[in-house]
Amino acid sequence: MDGAAFLDRVGAYARYGWRLVVINATSLLPADGTEGGAFDITWSFALGKQFEHLRERVLPGDEVPSISAHYPSSFLYENELRELFGIAVTGIAVDLGGQLYRTAERVPFAPGAIRARLEAAGRLEPGTKQP
Amino acid sequence: MKQTVIPIGPQHPVLPEPLVLDLVLEDEKVVDAIPMIGYVHRGLEALVERVEYTEMGYVIERICGICSFMHGMGYCLALEDIMAVDVPERARWLRLVWAELSRVQSHLLWLGLGADAFGFENLFMQAWRMREEILDIFEQTTGGRIIHSVNRIGGVRRDIDDSELAAIADRLERLGAAFEQPARVFRTDPSIRHRLEGVGVLSEKDARALGAVGPMARASGVAIDTRLLGEHLYDRLEIEPIIETGGDCLARVVVRVREVQQSIGLVRQLVERMPKGDGQPIDTKVRGLPSGETFIRLEQPRGEVVYCVRANGTKFLERFRARTPTFANIPAMIHMVKGCDLADVPNIVLTIDPCISCTER
Repeated sequence: MDGAAFLDRVGAYARYGWRLVVINATSLLPADGTEGGAFDITWSFALGKQFEHLRERVLPGDEVPSISAHYPSSFLYENELRELFGIAVTGIAVDLGGQLYRTAERVPFAPGAIRARLEAAGRLEPGTKQP
Repeated sequence: MKQTVIPIGPQHPVLPEPLVLDLVLEDEKVVDAIPMIGYVHRGLEALVERVEYTEMGYVIERICGICSFMHGMGYCLALEDIMAVDVPERARWLRLVWAELSRVQSHLLWLGLGADAFGFENLFMQAWRMREEILDIFEQTTGGRIIHSVNRIGGVRRDIDDSELAAIADRLERLGAAFEQPARVFRTDPSIRHRLEGVGVLSEKDARALGAVGPMARASGVAIDTRLLGEHLYDRLEIEPIIETGGDCLARVVVRVREVQQSIGLVRQLVERMPKGDGQPIDTKVRGLPSGETFIRLEQPRGEVVYCVRANGTKFLERFRARTPTFANIPAMIHMVKGCDLADVPNIVLTIDPCISCTER
């Protein structure tokens, strides 16, 4: 993703008084059944009755810039993205160093972890397509 | 100055739920607070991988025992939006009745916990005795006091006949009149004011910058209330946001006291404005598999909740995420405890009405 352009767009929301509502990620398994995966990250903003979203698709290892310079409250969502999804968010204002969640499974929403759970549940044969 | 780290929680006499905060102190002043929210994390969102979308509603309403009705409602609204389901009007009105009853019982529960924390046990018992009446109404109308399972994708499972609705509105009116006395104590008692006034102040500017929601934001003068968007039939009601400007612990108490009375009035409005006539349809048969994505916002008792749901045309959802109000209020809570005395931390934490069950989905 183009980090500078993305931050410009987020900055415009902040300047016009939009509030950050939620940052949400979805793990995507490759449709061809290969290893790897991707994430759809959605930043949602609201101003009165208006509700808009920015979406970026990133690959594991891609760097995603923190928006905490524009929205200080984003640090909680961004620490969550890092701990639950393994997304490399850079420049978080309050870096909790992996201490926010204490999950039994490390990075539980990483595509590999989801694939392993689906296979264990019998919903996905190893090497087959996404259900 | 030498710094000391004091862990608060997961078990602490004043915390009703296991929030964990590492407080960094210089002498008796808090200079930083580090939250941890994984103590009772249950991984409910990951269950969409194994639980079919038709059954997932039962899981979602178990995210929390206080907000269970509205979690179930939000989940159904999301699936109904994705599947373009036309929900019968009667069901939509009934959902609002239960939603406002949920707000009353949640605020009464919190006011009791707050009173207990201030050392006002009589007030605690008064608030919880009144809350029991709301739970009685839930049991009478849904069959459950805590977990109701009355929402279904396409509508609701139970109707409330018109005479019963009128009786509920009358009962609430009596409850509202009886609540006047404890409400006055919460607002004016000198010992409560002494304990809460000027403590844990969150300015309007900080509330906006830190994304505070619900009573916490409204106690700082921010007129944010998802019901004002006019969605889910709230446009048929006359509703004004309850605003206080103090931004301190006392203002957060007063907002909730006033919202109890407001929600009782809203139930009366709902009963009066709901289309009359027993035997109307209350649900629509839903067929097919969901495909699409939606974001649903509701005003829970603690503030705005957001449900992010993504479906890929199978019987299992691709993603379900609930951004709960407590999660949104944590940055503001951390901001408030910085600079306060250690002895005030429990009251500050309590007045955000933290719901750790909701936060640790």
